[in-house]
Parts: sequence; C-alpha cells; structure tokens
Amino acid sequence: MSLDLSMFDRFAVTYQPEDIIFCEHEPGDTFYLIQSGRVQIVKIIDDIEKNIDILHPGEIFGEMAILEEAPRSASAVALDQVRALEFNRENFEILMKGTPQIALKLLKLFTKRIYDQKRRFLILTLNDEQAKVADVFLMLSETQHIEDPDKDERVFNIAVDDIAHWAGMSPERSRAVLNHFVSQRRVEIFPDKIVVKNINDFARFVNSKRRQQVTD
Amino acid sequence: MPKAVNYKANSIVYFRGDTSEKVYILKSGRVSLNYNDIETGQEMHDLIQTGEFFGVKSALGKYPREETAVVLTDATMISFSVPEFEQIALQNTRIIMKMLKVFSNQLRRIHKQVRNLLMSGAQTNDPEAGLFKIGQYYLKSRKFKQAVYALRRYLTYYPAGKFSSEASSLLESAENGSTGNLKNISRPVPSNKGNQLTEVAKSYYNAVSLFSQEHYLEALKEFQKIIKENGGGEYEAKAQYEIGRCYFNLTKYDQCIKHYTLMIQKYPKHPDLVDALYHVGNSYESMGNKAKAVGFYKKILSMAREDLPVYRKSKKALKKIEG
Repeated sequence: MSLDLSMFDRFAVTYQPEDIIFCEHEPGDTFYLIQSGRVQIVKIIDDIEKNIDILHPGEIFGEMAILEEAPRSASAVALDQVRALEFNRENFEILMKGTPQIALKLLKLFTKRIYDQKRRFLILTLNDEQAKVADVFLMLSETQHIEDPDKDERVFNIAVDDIAHWAGMSPERSRAVLNHFVSQRRVEIFPDKIVVKNINDFARFVNSKRRQQVTD
Repeated sequence: MPKAVNYKANSIVYFRGDTSEKVYILKSGRVSLNYNDIETGQEMHDLIQTGEFFGVKSALGKYPREETAVVLTDATMISFSVPEFEQIALQNTRIIMKMLKVFSNQLRRIHKQVRNLLMSGAQTNDPEAGLFKIGQYYLKSRKFKQAVYALRRYLTYYPAGKFSSEASSLLESAENGSTGNLKNISRPVPSNKGNQLTEVAKSYYNAVSLFSQEHYLEALKEFQKIIKENGGGEYEAKAQYEIGRCYFNLTKYDQCIKHYTLMIQKYPKHPDLVDALYHVGNSYESMGNKAKAVGFYKKILSMAREDLPVYRKSKKALKKIEG
C-alpha cells in the first residue's frame, strides 16, 4: 500500500512469529491494519486448528470490534514478524478521516460481510434440517470459481464441522443429514472433500422448501 | 465519466438479481427500492431521497442487486462506475463516513439477527469455556507460547471463573514448557510444592486482574502479600515488577524509582528489566527531573531490541524532551 501512515506510528504494534494477536472467544475492542508480515486467522474446531484465512499487508482484521464488543470469532496469529496499526473505537474516526483510502477499504469489507451474514441468515431461517445443509452447499457454490458452469457436480474442500458451523446445527445432526444424502446418492463424502452430485437439484429442493415455509 | 440519465415513471433502473457495476445518485424525481424483509418476508419499499446514493453495496461488493429500483415519477439520476464512485468518495470523506455509519448499522443488525437464530438453536455459545478450551488445546499440542497467552487471557477476564484454578495450574505448566497434568507428567515437578504453587499463581493473577481494572492500591497490597507469604520463586520476581507499576500508576514516583532500583539489584536479569527502566525514566520525567529521565531513556535505547514497544516509547519520550 503506497499510503503514508507515518502519522499513525503511535498506534504501531509488533508481533513475533507465532505470537497470538488475539484469541478466539476473548472480548475484543481493537482492530488492526497490517503493515508488514502475514497474519493467519484460525479457529479451533474439534481439537483441530483450522486455517480460515491468511492476511497480507494492507488488509484489515478484527474489524467487528468497531461495531460491538462481542467475543472474537476466531484467533489471529502472526505468521512472520508482523507490524500492524492497532485501533479502537475511540481513535477510529481519526484514522478514517485522515486516510479515506482505509475508510473505503473498510466500506468494501462491510459490504462483503453484510452480504455473507444475510446469506447465512437465510440458511438459518430454514426449518428443515436437510434444506439447511443443502443451502450451505448452495451458499458455498455461489462464491466458487467454476470452470464449467454447465456441469452439475460441485466439489467442496470442507469438513462436516464446517457445514455444522454454517447451518447452526450440531456436528452429529449435520453428519446424520449428510449420511442421508449419501444414501440417496446425492452426495459423496471423502476425507478431504465433499462432492455434491447435482447442485441444481439442491437449488430446486431448497427453493421449494423456502416457498413452502412462506405459505405455511 | 459520470453521466446524467433520465427515466420515465414506472420504468426500472435495475432488477433484483442483476449484476452491475453502477452506482447511482438521485437528482430529481422519485425512486423506490423494493425488496423482501429477510426476517418477515414482507415486501418493503424504501424511498430514495434526492441527493442520496443507491446501488452502492452490491456494486462495491460485486454481488447481485438485492432490491429492484422502481422509478415512481419521471426522474433524473447520475450513474457512476465503481472507480468513478471511489474517486469522488476519496475526495469527500463525508460520503464514506456517512456510508460507514449506515453499513455498520446494517451489519450490526444482521449480526444480531444471526446470533439470535443461533441461540435459539442447539448451539450455545459460552465464551468463557471456549477461551479455556483454547488454552487447553494449545497446551496439549505443546504450543506453549500460545497456551500461555490464552490461559493468561482467561485468568484476566475470569479471575474467579469456573475453570480459574484449573487454568492457573495449566498456565504454570505452560510457562514451564510442559503439558503438566493434562497428560501424564513428562517432566518431574516437585510434588510437595505442587498445590502451594497453584495457590500463588491464583493470587498472582487475581492481583493482575485488579491492576487491569485500575484498582492499583488493592493490586499493590495483593502483590506485596504474595512476596511476604511466598518469598522466592518466579512469582516473587513477577510480583516485584508489578509492584513498581502499581506505584507508578498511583503517581508515587519516588517510591516507584526506589522499588525498581532495589529490584534491579536483586534481579539483574529480570525479564521485565527494560520495562522497569522505562518506568523509572518516566517517573523522573513526571517529577520534572528531565536530565535523569533522558539518561534512562537513552540507556533503554542502547539495550532494547528496536521492535519492542518499550524501545519505541522511550524514543518518543526522548524526542518529546529533547525536542
């Protein structure tokens, strides 16, 4: 980023590789702009540390803290020696007014988050557990890059726990629903991926359930 | 180039589901955004005010339009491409700030809606248990540095929590670089001292938490008690450092200086040595003794690693004094 941020030097913080910047579940009131080094976002699910994202210089993380002091939804860990600017709600306005480029970046991040949350909300409003799980696949397919859009089959590099997370269901219930789909030959489960045989079939299924719910 | 476009009454600017890179600002006439409320499914009509932007979210986020923009009376609007919009916004921060407010309200609202749905479902969220489990996880995976962080955080936020005694004993193991009683002990721990140590840890973190809540006098008393009752050991050294910080925050600068001077004699290799020196320098500065303060700040710059916050703080303090 070719921005002059030297006026924010007093907000600079540094971390050594493997340092935790913040930890899942801890209350958060700060957010960060990476200046150098990479930051990994991880979540511990069922005793496995799962990589959610790797962020690079110029990227913002922890931004939900600007809005509310909710517990962090994931941990941020320094991958390299990281230098970042640390802000809180009090000095947020100074930053935004001083550097509209960052404000614009945050604006874009918010539009994406709003869309993702709305999409997730739609999944959660479904009453039917099968429809919920199917809709998780639909949501994931919407942001996939597909080489051949005419192909019905979709491959997802996710685990059952991810599905459970998005569907707001327990891993056991999610697994039961997936096994049911497997028995219907609509889905195949592999150790490293889940294959949906016909994504359009899932779309029709979810849409009909959603319509049914509205008329009920 | 941004251009003015005229629309007849009852025409459509864009349909829900369209993908487009256009952002609009309404100059004259009436335009309504029609969509279904995601919670109730009810059809909503939001009227656009003249001078108001619309279509921003989907254009910036590169996702399909979530509403249909219907022209109610003959209208004129200016259409921008995303780069054109960005250019205007960068020159007029007010636009961005206003939109940030609107978007952050929307985001907060949808977040709350999602959380409510999750709460009513089978999943319950317990941040206290969650944080403790993270500490446990890292200790089990022998990632001691991370375990120390998570467990310390746990004890700071929940000093009298459900897992606090377990957390202090795990923290002690993590600080010693062993997995402690999580698995069978791989490193011998003096068994006769085991329980006693845990008690010290507990009172130490209790005092730390008092400090973080700015109850400096109470924290000071707790730290002094730790030294009196459990002299020696790593918690004494830690408590010694914290006592100096308490004095400093209580603005008892001369006592802070005296305390740290003694501490440095007793623990010449104290892990928090440089930070102690900084507090000494800062105390002198607060007492108006600039020459002494400068001496300490310079000493810190000569011995601390450049990437440490204390290095930066000292440099800044020095600059302030010397101009």
